[in-house]
Amino acid sequence: MAGNPLLLKELRQRMRTRRAPWLVTAYLLAMAALTFGLLYESMQGQLLMLQPMRGEQVFVILSMLQLTVVLFLTPAFAAGAVSGERERQTLPVLLTTPLRVVDLLVGKVLSCSALLILLMVVAMPLYSVVFLFGGAVPQEALSMFVFQVFNVIWVAAVSVMWSALTLRSGWSTVLSYATVAWLLVITGVVGMGLQWFGQHYPIDWFAERWSDVLLHLNPLWVMATLENVVRTSSPVPPWLTYCAVYMVLLIVLSAAAAWRLRPGPGWRRRVRWARHTDIG
Amino acid sequence: MIRTQNLSKRYGRVMAVDRLNLTVRTGTLFGLVGENGAGKTTTLGMLATLIRPSSGRALICGFDVTEQSREVRRCIGYMPDRFGVFDDITAEEYLQFYADCYHVPRPVARRRIDEWLAWVDLTEKRRAYVNALSRGMQQRLEIARCLMHDPAVLILDEPASGLDPRSRLEMRSVLQRLRDLGKTVLMSSHILHELAEVADEIGILRTGSISMVASVSVLREQTGAHRRLWLVGEASRDRWHQALRSDPHVVDYTFEPDGITVIYAGTLEQQAELMERLVKAQIRLYQFAERPTDIEQVFLRLTEGQVQHHGR
Repeated sequence: MAGNPLLLKELRQRMRTRRAPWLVTAYLLAMAALTFGLLYESMQGQLLMLQPMRGEQVFVILSMLQLTVVLFLTPAFAAGAVSGERERQTLPVLLTTPLRVVDLLVGKVLSCSALLILLMVVAMPLYSVVFLFGGAVPQEALSMFVFQVFNVIWVAAVSVMWSALTLRSGWSTVLSYATVAWLLVITGVVGMGLQWFGQHYPIDWFAERWSDVLLHLNPLWVMATLENVVRTSSPVPPWLTYCAVYMVLLIVLSAAAAWRLRPGPGWRRRVRWARHTDIG
Repeated sequence: MIRTQNLSKRYGRVMAVDRLNLTVRTGTLFGLVGENGAGKTTTLGMLATLIRPSSGRALICGFDVTEQSREVRRCIGYMPDRFGVFDDITAEEYLQFYADCYHVPRPVARRRIDEWLAWVDLTEKRRAYVNALSRGMQQRLEIARCLMHDPAVLILDEPASGLDPRSRLEMRSVLQRLRDLGKTVLMSSHILHELAEVADEIGILRTGSISMVASVSVLREQTGAHRRLWLVGEASRDRWHQALRSDPHVVDYTFEPDGITVIYAGTLEQQAELMERLVKAQIRLYQFAERPTDIEQVFLRLTEGQVQHHGR
């Protein structure tokens, strides 16, 4: 953090707003209400009775809901990260400092993710309430938490990259939500649909193959495999495929975003498409 | 310190900057003046490594702005014409942030924050949020920000634009003191008389290229802008009329309560002849002084293309 002045400044700015404590409080209250509501419902009012299967169900539902909510919140914090600087006319000065573009992008990504990770951290005691009923083990909770953090940072990173590439907050918000929709909705709905087709129609090989590919790219499905709710015959752990594919995508986007903000020496020889898009 | 060689920037069919050749010597305050759209901001943007030149090259502190942009950034302080400030951050934190961006050691940065805030007369505002400061204060804070890493070159794009008269005066004082610090300053403005008060040299930019570079006095001389003379004397109006009308270089004159303002198109020698003429006409002269030329005239004449170009 000491090596990235932008991160320190951003954290200071973000935590000073009134929005931060209100968001944390509202999120915690909502999650608490949901947890106790789910527990009460699944235990059918028998909160003093130990029912491990029901406890595990609540844990899975809670973690999936948390991931969905947090992923939909992330673009709201990250999609205007770089374009907002341009719109507020603070970007040109930042770009004339020796601050490296990678520091700028990393600072933005981490500062945008920080509040969302804080949301997940403050919700952790609620999971410990679920543990009281058995079913879920701490290792599962830990792997779920790490996977959620990965997803939040990834979506924040992609949103920041869209913001740097488009330099328009409106466009980057649309693209960021499209990315979240791809992650949560498209891969899930199409993947499950193809799986259903594969089981009911003779095009089973094609459908099953592609449903498998799409579901490997869906964070909810991958999280379900981490919690052993669904099982897969794939030799490679689904979380590894998931992380690898999206990391490659992120690297490609990051390279384009870095080039967009500050083309390096020899730029004339490389690309000419951004000729009319100077910053400032 | 700053040198451009055929520096050009093309946006589609529009040539924003056309083979610009400019030299700004170390320790001078160079004013770049031109109408809106003349290419001032594009030129400064290229020098500040923000805009990629289409062709040509520019050197600052010996570094090429395209090939050695990182080195260039370390030796310049850039203030854009339209700038924003961060929300929810104090003046002190703002300067500290930029000091960190330039890797200025913390103790040095703290000392400089005190120094530069005092220098721009903002010590009392050090804990005020930057977005709550007035525009004039923000402009001065920007100058302090530019100085945090002690750059050799300052590039200031319209530093006094959008300011009220009082803030303008404060900014002028800051700019004059900048020159005294020995910094090389390249600043742009479309208000020529403001530049004339602080700049050592002025370059007139027309449609993307320099049409003239000269000191303020030489600029007036070469462009033949009319002098404004201030005369105070004792004589009847008829005698004044007779004497002034007999001089072919008197363009116009106005009687004012304390004296007469004469718009004079002649040289210094011809001006001396006017004085003799007035004395011969038995006017008791108490004052015969040249008032500062309305420098805007020079600008208008140049931008209308009425004068020969004296480009370097």
